[in-house]
Amino acid sequence: MKTKKTHYISYLILALFGLYMLFPFVSTFFYATSTKWSNTMLPNDFTFKWFIQLIEDPNFISAVVRSFTLTFTTLAVVLVVMVPTVFLVYTYFPKVDQFMKGLVLMPYAIPGVILATGLLRMYSGSVIPMYLVLVGALFIGSLPFMYQGVRNSLESIQTKKLIEAAEILGANRFTSFIRIILPNIRLGLLITTLLIFSSFFGEFVLTNLLIGGRYETIRIYMLRRMNENGHLASSVMVAYFILLILISLVITYLTSPDRRGRKNSNRKQVPGKRADRISLAEPLKSVSILKIGVKKEKRQRI
Amino acid sequence: MKRKQSRKTILLLVPFFLMTVMFLVIPMALMITSSFTSESTGGFTLDNYIEVLTNSFYSQSFLNSGLISLFSAVAGLVLAIIVSYAMTNLPEKVQDKLTVYINVAANFAGVPLAFAFIILLGNSGVFTLFLKDANLPLINGFKLYSWQGLALTYLYFQIPLGILFIYPSLKKIKREWKEAAFMLGASSGTYWRKVGLPSIMPSIAGTFVIMFANGMGTYETAYALTGSNINLVTIRIAALVSGDIYARPVIGSTLAVLFAVIMMAILALSQMLLKKVRRDLA
Repeated sequence: MKTKKTHYISYLILALFGLYMLFPFVSTFFYATSTKWSNTMLPNDFTFKWFIQLIEDPNFISAVVRSFTLTFTTLAVVLVVMVPTVFLVYTYFPKVDQFMKGLVLMPYAIPGVILATGLLRMYSGSVIPMYLVLVGALFIGSLPFMYQGVRNSLESIQTKKLIEAAEILGANRFTSFIRIILPNIRLGLLITTLLIFSSFFGEFVLTNLLIGGRYETIRIYMLRRMNENGHLASSVMVAYFILLILISLVITYLTSPDRRGRKNSNRKQVPGKRADRISLAEPLKSVSILKIGVKKEKRQRI
Repeated sequence: MKRKQSRKTILLLVPFFLMTVMFLVIPMALMITSSFTSESTGGFTLDNYIEVLTNSFYSQSFLNSGLISLFSAVAGLVLAIIVSYAMTNLPEKVQDKLTVYINVAANFAGVPLAFAFIILLGNSGVFTLFLKDANLPLINGFKLYSWQGLALTYLYFQIPLGILFIYPSLKKIKREWKEAAFMLGASSGTYWRKVGLPSIMPSIAGTFVIMFANGMGTYETAYALTGSNINLVTIRIAALVSGDIYARPVIGSTLAVLFAVIMMAILALSQMLLKKVRRDLA
């Protein structure tokens, strides 16, 4: 009885929150699909002409492609460098961890504007192409989210105990990282990746200052259009957010390719229990490790 | 054997430190040295700091940034906790989907966000005109291009950001803890005071610092919304570093160094507090 009541309040809270969050999205959408909108609660007409105008603009397409290229390059660098680094520091070098915690918060102390100024002084006209400098700058910018995100998930699965158990069972550091830690922090990694993905995709300050008009990403294109026509700018934004939502869904799907396989194999072994969520109350960590091991082998065979 | 392995492991940290030195440490070192460089002679000087510290225009920009960040972080955090908690009561599938959309919302900041608020609530915004026509006193006195507008837009991206950090830690709270507490006769309030909140306290403190810093560092949104009308640190620095008419990169660097020092002091303080919280837990 009591829990049911709580649920109604939960839905009410989420509905209010959702309204506040959707308000600008919805109105931007209406603005993009109307020829003229003022004085009324809802626009008088509906048109796709701004979108058609947008799609016919080759600059828009190439801006989207450029944004994707930049985002994926940087995301690859960030994930490949950061995930093992955070894991190693958290597990094996606790002393470095204190130092790292301070270091990764540095981007907050240095706003993008300042970082870009320093980078321009350092690298403009040097052998290192500005594109790589931009990737590096974005890498630095994503440090706080990445470090905090990965570290939080490592903390929540009690990594140290898991690794100890794995090492007692004879696994080396590499194996235990790939086969035990990575599958366990999937949810946390997914959320962190999503967060960074869309922040890269919509990056403006650093891109504009470091490469500027030479490399027109979608945000820079957006700003240029905004000064020309409000309705058209709205349609750019709508297109941008549709893209962002689609990409987020794709990433969600890609990050869990084993979702279906896992559910099936679980049903046979331990009904209703997901192996990737190790409960704090579970006394024997080694049990879950073995579970994961068995599952992986099964999957490989399939 | 073990030492050899350790040395190899340390080598794996090299890429990270290489990136950090190249793209963070060196640019920052340049920023610091230029803050001690005289604008006219190019020699070492403290004049820049004296100028910045005695000019009330600059100190006011720090105060303004601090106040708006504090407000948006506190209000945003409270709302984020409430919403995250509400989320944990939903079916698992819905929760997964919601995190995707909240992530999108967290990035609805900067130029697009400011633009959306301008077309709605700006001077000639759709709702401003509509409400004026209908003679509704709902948003009488509300000015988008002021503190109120800034606070409203800041909250818009602070809440989702808070959720993204608070929600995973709320998920960690086990149903069993609650059941155990209720079985031992705890009320809902007691449970949250003694078990629920303390267990997520480190997350809350960490998230607050992130949100505060995020507010302090915000440039794009504030600039797109109010131009240079509101005196914020980031806007001041950008104008000094890359402004067309009043470009004074050296003063900009000085402000940036002070900004960095203040932020680091806040971060250090939060680390200390975090440790204290953790000790209480143990």
